[in-house]
Amino acid sequence: MKFRETVIQALSSLAVNRLRSLLTILGVAVGVFSIIAVMTALDAVDKSVESGLTSLGANTFQIQKYPATVFGGAHARNIYANRKDITWQQALFFRKSMENSARTIGFVITSQGARAKYGNIDTNPDVVLTGGDENFAASNGYAVQEGRNLGESDIRYARGTAVLGRELRETLFPAGGNPIGATVKVNGEVYTVIGVFEKKGAAFGQSQDNFVLIPITRYLDHVDEKSSIAITVEALSRSDYPHALDQAIGSMRSVRGLGVTMANDFEIRTNESLIDSFREIKIAISTGAFIISFMALLTAGVGIMNIMLVSVTERTREIGIRKSVGAPRRSILRQFLLEALFLSLAGGVIGIFTGIAAGNLVALQFNLPPLFPWVWTVVSLIVCSAIGMAFGLFPAWKAAGLNTVDALRPK
Amino acid sequence: MMKTTKGPAVIIMKELCKFYEMGEEVVRALDSIDLDFMLNDYAAIMGPSGSGKSTLMNIIGCLDTPTSGRYELNGQNVADLNDDALAVIRNREIGFVFQTFNLLPRLNCLRNVELPLIYAGVGPEEREERAAEALKQVGLGDRIKHRPSELSGGQIQRVAIARALVNKPSIILADEPTGNLDTATSHDIMEIFGKLSDAGNTIILITHEEDIARFTRRIIRLRDGKIESDSRR
Repeated sequence: MKFRETVIQALSSLAVNRLRSLLTILGVAVGVFSIIAVMTALDAVDKSVESGLTSLGANTFQIQKYPATVFGGAHARNIYANRKDITWQQALFFRKSMENSARTIGFVITSQGARAKYGNIDTNPDVVLTGGDENFAASNGYAVQEGRNLGESDIRYARGTAVLGRELRETLFPAGGNPIGATVKVNGEVYTVIGVFEKKGAAFGQSQDNFVLIPITRYLDHVDEKSSIAITVEALSRSDYPHALDQAIGSMRSVRGLGVTMANDFEIRTNESLIDSFREIKIAISTGAFIISFMALLTAGVGIMNIMLVSVTERTREIGIRKSVGAPRRSILRQFLLEALFLSLAGGVIGIFTGIAAGNLVALQFNLPPLFPWVWTVVSLIVCSAIGMAFGLFPAWKAAGLNTVDALRPK
Repeated sequence: MMKTTKGPAVIIMKELCKFYEMGEEVVRALDSIDLDFMLNDYAAIMGPSGSGKSTLMNIIGCLDTPTSGRYELNGQNVADLNDDALAVIRNREIGFVFQTFNLLPRLNCLRNVELPLIYAGVGPEEREERAAEALKQVGLGDRIKHRPSELSGGQIQRVAIARALVNKPSIILADEPTGNLDTATSHDIMEIFGKLSDAGNTIILITHEEDIARFTRRIIRLRDGKIESDSRR
């Protein structure tokens, strides 16, 4: 019998039991959906991660109490939480000891959810309040667009001056106008605007321009005196970067009073470490998705086998009739195998399209361009075919091996 | 060759045996059968239940193989062919008509009749043509798009006969073809068989009804796996 006939036969058999076929297909679709959705989303995020995570300036690293990401739940979280804050005193000592080993050393404290006000314009409580020094802009890749940056005297005298991120400027001064010299309120504190930064753009869908920078000394005096300070170090040159890193660790250890046997109680963040920690997350998520999908597909495969066995039993008479008019074993085998294959492939195709749609929806949330994960699509189709074949083989073999006389006998 | 009356032999059976093991006991369903069928034979195989007529029918139809002995169909020994080789023989040489009709309920008449041609590898257009022709032969030329569920018992059996005919087989084998039909319809069906016989077909049918057997030209009676009588008219 020609292949085309077998395909038509298999499809029409599946069409008879629509609901049953659909439910079986759904099982496969769920398995494929989970892997495709996760992989599409991860690939989309991955595309922008390099640029997004390279937020620190060139040859720059940061010393902090917390690592970029924390794995391992409450216990791991507590280890970092129990560390002592990096205090202003420690920061100053550190700067002193690093004076000749770094081009700039900046201090920064940030807190989320501040609310800024100018005249009768009030922002949402989503403004980042940053306490920093004159080096903050350079270390974090911000350039001054209007007015001036924080100066040394702003820090020394803890002045109530502020430099606005581009987005915050547009929110507070929608008509344009000159913000320099204007008086804004942030969480009730009054600041005089001295400058505006250029737009930096978004990373992971997070605006990096909706913030206000005030002198760190002002921050400690008026906002929160018990904050852990992040120290940003810019090495003298690219070649000096590893040396500066070593020196900084040594200085920080002595500033923190650590004995030789004690582990570091602070973290070094570099652009590379941020990307690395993203990769770790990515691997963890994709491994999870892979295992879940594998389980789901295995279950779906068992479902296919189950439904095909039922189908063989139900259609014993049909098989007998076909064999009596001359169907060879391989033709019966092929028919049932194709039915199983169609079930799993249909599920695969549905899973792929819904998965890509869902993955791209996530990408959209992060303002990332949509993408089509070719590799995962092909892999999914191959895996689906394999599952359909593997789990369809036994029922098909059983159908093909039926004794014609027994199959024709009325029950 | 014995009892040769006319034409060449289509089927030659020599010392054909079929034994079944039922636990300790060996059931001799067919016990050394010698039987020939000639071209254009129109024969009825009769016998009470358990006489072995169904077993004989299955072996003649290449649905089953004998335990021992020789079975030649059109000069080819088919006694020890494997499953797939038998399928090819069934497809080319034999047309079945069953008591329970055995049509595929999902397919319309035309598609049901086409079935043997599909497995013979005949192309779609020729298939349709030949199936329609076979249906016309049994008087159902105007019902080709109907499904079996839309037809009467007699009509369904005629579709089954059309299916048996369509591959131009060496023999048409009918197992109690009127067993599920009323008397009037049964006689209609037997008339069709009569016409097919007149057209030169070789027909073997199994029945336990004397008035059905009377339509044929030869009656073979089985008892306990042996031939009790074999008479021609």
